Amino acid sequence: MLSVENLRVVYHDVISVLNGISLSVRQGEVLIIIGANGAGKTTLLRSVAGMIDFYDGDIIEGDIKVGDSSIKGLGPTDIMRRCGLTYVMEDRPVFWYLTIEENLGAAAFSRWDREVRKDMEKVLTYFPPLKSLRHKKAGYASGGEQQMLAIAMALMTKPRILLLDEPSLGLAPLVTEEVFGIIKRLNQSGISVVLVEQNAHAALEIGTRGYVMELGRIVLEGKAEELASNKDVREFYLGSGEKSRRSYRDARRYKRRKRWL
Amino acid sequence: MIDLIQAVGSGMLVGLVYSLLGLCIVLIYKASEAFNFAIGEFMVVGSFLFYILFFDLHLPFIIALPLGLAAAAGAGAIIQRLAIKPLIGRSPISMTIVTLGLAFFIRACLQLIFGSHSYSFFLELPDISIDTGELLFLSDPIWAGILALSAFGVVMFFLFRTRWGLAVRATSENQAKAMAFGINARMILLIVWAASSACIAIAGIMISNFGALSTMSSIVGLRAIPVVLIGGMDSIGGALIGGIIVGVCESMVGTYLEPLGLIGFKEVAPYILLLIVLLIRPYGLFGTVRIERV
Amino acid sequence: MNRRLLVVLSCVLILSSVVLSPASAKEIKVLSQFPMSGPVGALPEFGWGYIDGMNWVNGEGGGVNGKKITWFLEDFRYDPTVEVANFNKYCAEMSRDEFILATGYITGGLKPLADKVNKEEKIPWLDGSYSTEIFGPDGGPSKYPYYYSLGATYGDQVKALMRWIKQNHKGKGKPRVGMVYSPTAWGKDGTPEGIAYAKKIGLDVVAEIEYPYSATDATNECMQLRKAKAQYVIYHGYSGASGCTAIFFKTAKKVLKDVQLMGTHYTTNRMSILVCQEAYDGYVGVATRPFLDAVPRSKTPMENPMIKLAHEFAQKYRPEEYKRGVKDKDAIKDMFLYMEGLTYALMIQKVLTDADNAGDLSREGVKKALDNLVWDFKGMFGGKKFSYKSHTIPMMQIFRAEVKMVQMGDATVPTGSVNPITDWINSDEIKW
Repeated sequence: MLSVENLRVVYHDVISVLNGISLSVRQGEVLIIIGANGAGKTTLLRSVAGMIDFYDGDIIEGDIKVGDSSIKGLGPTDIMRRCGLTYVMEDRPVFWYLTIEENLGAAAFSRWDREVRKDMEKVLTYFPPLKSLRHKKAGYASGGEQQMLAIAMALMTKPRILLLDEPSLGLAPLVTEEVFGIIKRLNQSGISVVLVEQNAHAALEIGTRGYVMELGRIVLEGKAEELASNKDVREFYLGSGEKSRRSYRDARRYKRRKRWL
Repeated sequence: MIDLIQAVGSGMLVGLVYSLLGLCIVLIYKASEAFNFAIGEFMVVGSFLFYILFFDLHLPFIIALPLGLAAAAGAGAIIQRLAIKPLIGRSPISMTIVTLGLAFFIRACLQLIFGSHSYSFFLELPDISIDTGELLFLSDPIWAGILALSAFGVVMFFLFRTRWGLAVRATSENQAKAMAFGINARMILLIVWAASSACIAIAGIMISNFGALSTMSSIVGLRAIPVVLIGGMDSIGGALIGGIIVGVCESMVGTYLEPLGLIGFKEVAPYILLLIVLLIRPYGLFGTVRIERV
Repeated sequence: MNRRLLVVLSCVLILSSVVLSPASAKEIKVLSQFPMSGPVGALPEFGWGYIDGMNWVNGEGGGVNGKKITWFLEDFRYDPTVEVANFNKYCAEMSRDEFILATGYITGGLKPLADKVNKEEKIPWLDGSYSTEIFGPDGGPSKYPYYYSLGATYGDQVKALMRWIKQNHKGKGKPRVGMVYSPTAWGKDGTPEGIAYAKKIGLDVVAEIEYPYSATDATNECMQLRKAKAQYVIYHGYSGASGCTAIFFKTAKKVLKDVQLMGTHYTTNRMSILVCQEAYDGYVGVATRPFLDAVPRSKTPMENPMIKLAHEFAQKYRPEEYKRGVKDKDAIKDMFLYMEGLTYALMIQKVLTDADNAGDLSREGVKKALDNLVWDFKGMFGGKKFSYKSHTIPMMQIFRAEVKMVQMGDATVPTGSVNPITDWINSDEIKW
């Protein structure tokens, strides 16, 4: 459905962040991308959503395709309209000074049909906590509510593919669970999801497939269960190695191995 | 007492025009965090466009005004497209500096095209002066107040009651977030600059109607600085109140302090008031209370 | 454009004088500076009038007893620094024997040059400034022996207005006068002298108001004048063509219905008719030049010989610019400016010829010629002659504006003129 081919992205003409990355998203799956800070996960999503220009980045090589047509170089509005691809940025991208309802309205801006009002009610039923807050400024909502709002806003754009950037950031474990539950439900209703996460544990539980990114490259690929049971992944991202590391030397060995991969 | 009513009243009428100037600064500041120093020049451009339609082509006022405003909006959009758009996503400071350069550039162009002598400017609006013998409010300032207030109302309606207004407010808060939700931020900024230059044209036309129009009229644009700083750089209501405060302050100082021998004090009084306000409330009277999450 | 023309012209002149005259002959060099562009506006008329005048002087005019004048024209863009720098440059480049006369236009340049001109160079300097500070009782020939002004000081102008009020006041009690002036060196120049004189001759100065150029509203100022029950308002220190003047006159016309509005030289002007239109009707103002030009420009020759001459010059040398409308940038919008440029040229020819006749064509000789000058300036002041002993041309006249709005096509346009209501007043002859 969505495929990224050998993508290379450079910021400010010098800082190379993605060094030839290739991946594909299949219809109806939840694709998990995990990786350490600075691995280039957010850059990958920005490039796919067409927002890389705004951050002064350039796609210098490779291509992004939805179906058979390239979406490289299109603006975010075009990508959203043509491909139903919506990008939910990290850190709860809601408009703090607008009310919850206005937030949902703003997110529906790219649509021109008359069903916005109806959809808004429908979306609000998915997120009961938001319903009671609808006339309150989003800035005063709690972190979990804001994240729900962000996803609700994404739904207002009627997406077929949803790119989620660390929805669990700064949320309590219980709330994270709730958010991931929502993502799972959305997926079941037919939306393909690309989920970028630091919280690999929770993510791999709801994911179908996953990639591990390191320094702008894909270093591992596989089914979610396979990844969850992979020794390296467990060691580095799940934080629960079968046996605890004995010495720093071992850690260095893993590091070296990872580079080889 | 009569003096007080006269001073406050005439101050408010002129203040409403200042409010409109302030509003134009606030709109652009909210949308791109840049301060438009070329406001005076935008004002003169708008006024001249109207001048051409109304005085040179002799269109009726009812047609010339909307056409003139549309032309002013177009001019604002063109300037934004050429000078501001390449800077979207960069530091707002660079945009602010570009507006400074624009001010000089536009002023020079205007002088080349229109020369620098004054153009007479008589709108001949119906006389609605209020004259009770002791109290006197002239027709022109009353019309200016009415037009400024209605322009304010239209802008408020646009911002708070239409979907485009909602998109403008969303973009004003955060361009990246707005883009991610499919709002074409570049388009929105274009609209904001166009709306701002249309509003400013109204202020320019009213101010020209008080006297005459010349390229030197752009100095009046500087009045917007105390207005927005007193009212709060990002508050639309603040621009309204700030404008009225500056207008009333000037007129009160002119009525009560200048006859005491403080001749010329009127010019600096708004800035003194500004200093006091900034000492007490650094964000201005109505500057947005930042939402801080604890 | 003008400058290029000028460079070419001066090259031709220099070349021709080199070729034609024996190498030993002393040249007569004169430097003039006018504001032809700059922040105050494009005023190329000055330069046109001067160039046409000087070309005429060197050609048909017969030069200085046959000798040609080598003249230099600089546009100092209304910037005193530029005026000073230009003068210094020419002083350094040219010998004292040849460079014998300079002209300037603004007060701002006179102050920094005071020592240079009057003590070091000792070169006669004709200026367009009417500064009371420099040419009035506190300055004058004793303090600045080489400065000469081409008009009566603002102090004299305000005093002349006060005198007119005194003479023409009808009704009981002391006439009540309000002063409105700009918060600039210009607005403050002459105001104290005028007020002191008003008190001396028994006028009540009931209000003093500073009204800035950047004003957007004059309601307060006018209400203050109304409260003070002023019967006459003297408006001083403004160009008649500026926006603030229009604001003031428009408001005053409505707020101060029975008040006589008055003003000084640059407010008394045909540009004021164009900009303030009906609000300018009935205005009484003083000026140092005859302002007989009507709006729109009348086809019939003017009564005043100097104005007639200026029109003839403009029609002959600048037919295109003369014909164009007022809104055109390259038109002679204000004949006063053109005439002023011409005035300089004629004045230069006159004093240089006088000095040559006296046999001393040097800086000192020109100064002597200026001090001894008694002239009617080609009949400019109604045939009256003036002397230059006060270092100002002390002539003034009081005018009244008559403006009517006339339907022309589908537009109403102002028509009218400022007409003299007194004879020429010679400030030197009046015991103030």
